[in-house]
Amino acid sequence: MPVMDIERPHGLPRRFEGGDPMAGVPRPPAPRPRGCAAEHRHYPARWEPLSGPDLLDRLRVTGRRRPRARADLVQVLRSGLESGLGAVGEGGIGGQPGVPPGAPHPAPLVVTKDRLTRVLACEAHAVATPFGQRSNSVALACGAIVDALFRQLVTVGSIGDPMADGLAALAVDGRQSDLVGWVERLSGTERDELGAEVERQAEGLRRRWPALDPSWLPRTQEAMRVRLADGALELSARVDLAIGRPAGDVASVAIVEVKSGARRAEHRADLHFSALLETLRSPAPPFVVATYYTRTGELDVDPVTDELLMASARRTLTGARRLADLAGGAEPGRTAHPLCGRCSVLPEGDVGPGPSDGTGPGARRDGAGEGR
Amino acid sequence: MTAVEDRTGALTAPPVASVGRDGRAALRRRLVDGLGTSVATLPAGEPVVVTLPLLRFARTRPDSLAAPEEPFAWRPAFVRRSLGLAVVEACAAGRFGSPLDAVGPVATLAIDQWQETGWRTFHWEPWLAGLAHGAQATVLADAAGWATALWSSLDWSGLDPRTRIGGADDQWVCPATHAVRLKGRSDVRVPLAPRGSGASDAGNEEPVALVSLSGGCPSPAWREELAYLALVAALRSPSRPVPARVVGVWPDAGADRVVEVDEGALVDAADLVVTTATAVVEARMSVPA
Repeated sequence: MPVMDIERPHGLPRRFEGGDPMAGVPRPPAPRPRGCAAEHRHYPARWEPLSGPDLLDRLRVTGRRRPRARADLVQVLRSGLESGLGAVGEGGIGGQPGVPPGAPHPAPLVVTKDRLTRVLACEAHAVATPFGQRSNSVALACGAIVDALFRQLVTVGSIGDPMADGLAALAVDGRQSDLVGWVERLSGTERDELGAEVERQAEGLRRRWPALDPSWLPRTQEAMRVRLADGALELSARVDLAIGRPAGDVASVAIVEVKSGARRAEHRADLHFSALLETLRSPAPPFVVATYYTRTGELDVDPVTDELLMASARRTLTGARRLADLAGGAEPGRTAHPLCGRCSVLPEGDVGPGPSDGTGPGARRDGAGEGR
Repeated sequence: MTAVEDRTGALTAPPVASVGRDGRAALRRRLVDGLGTSVATLPAGEPVVVTLPLLRFARTRPDSLAAPEEPFAWRPAFVRRSLGLAVVEACAAGRFGSPLDAVGPVATLAIDQWQETGWRTFHWEPWLAGLAHGAQATVLADAAGWATALWSSLDWSGLDPRTRIGGADDQWVCPATHAVRLKGRSDVRVPLAPRGSGASDAGNEEPVALVSLSGGCPSPAWREELAYLALVAALRSPSRPVPARVVGVWPDAGADRVVEVDEGALVDAADLVVTTATAVVEARMSVPA
């Protein structure tokens, strides 16, 4: 095969590969003698985001053995999901066995990371905002443009004028024409703000994101689909970047999601959902999943373990069952959340209690009068 | 053995079935009779073009059959396969090490040749040349992704050197009505060693195995859908052997399926074509004029 695994570093262990994990990392200086001005006692060394080869090493070298192909693990994950889904509704999620050729096929219930996150956060909110329907905003536009620029950087190795390139990329994709039109109608100030943020994040990408060896088969916007329960349910994801040849006996794929906004708890769950799908569709799991924050240069890396996959399967099952129940006509429950009072979708809701009292996102309550 | 080696081995294994002349003639009659009946009510000038996507939409989105066709406009999705195939061909020929290496130069060469000669090998050259930098990058990224999926699906070193990547669609026009045209689009055609002596129904020519790359997941009718590609190839070239095998690859789902082409598989595919053509005609007739 003229394809390669993501090449592992040779020679001495580098950072995060069994050696001193702090080797090479700038350390704070020794305490200054008494009498110095207070401000001088602060660490002068700022945290610097990883860049270039260091960033790549952080992705490649997890400090763990790469997972091996495990048919038994895949079987456990798949059967756990399918048996759990079989308990949904009176007869479970119906399958499609025996559909004669030519006869219409019932559409599967599609479970994406967004749908999962939304239904687990608040069923009522998820039902009130139909799938794929999002309000345009500067943050959304920034995210879409930065995604396009990241794709461009990986593919052609350069970014020209970030706003022009990003908007051209979105415009050529017919699905984004609404967002492009919205950006073009922005007032001068808002557009300048958007342009400045896009420019800043693009510059960060140019300076920090490493060039990827083409032999690692980097591919952007890779779709993943897994059908379960005789095709009645489809798990679906699209990842910003997958690197590494498709797995053989040993994991060889790394998955990266790019986020232009602030770090949020659900980003990790999204990543784990992608890891679950890659595991179910491939001989081996990905060896690592990561989120790269273009605003700050932060890189959250999760080595993929059995526990991570099992937890993701449990979360997916919980969400898929709720989605199936809702699709079957069940009354959506409301989940209290501190942001309920600012919810534009269900403005009639009261402010929910915070997560600190044990009723945060995921703690479902079916009482009336609660919103998000 | 890796999944790629397994898939390549299944693709290139000696044929296990063949279709004789009689079977082929019977199949043609069956299709002509069935289509003649199903499209009898179709107004003139509204031909039905049957393709693999139409076979799928007819079952997954039957309501789309009556929808008017959108006027054609170039999109990255319309470029990804043809550019992707050219990229894979360039990699298989050893000109580039990987699809990402190849996609830019292959697209640039196509545009340069069009600008120099006016000849459009792919048809999209003027459109791509006129796009802004960011839009071009999106087109290239799409094609690189498609090509990478095909490139990493097979062990290219294990294929016959005469393997054809891409090439013209197979087409057949139903002689009974001329209102139905079948189009089959295979991504790779791999020559196979003939099965035993005298098994071939078309002289000494070797049968081929076809490869089809699709998005999404295999449908419950994947067997008939894959056999459809062999059916159109068989109808188009009666003097050539019927393709012996069709391998479907669904990279999104990490799935592959193999159909060994025998008379039964072709009959099932022909029946699916008739069912689909009938559904298209009924959908069109249901739309008020």
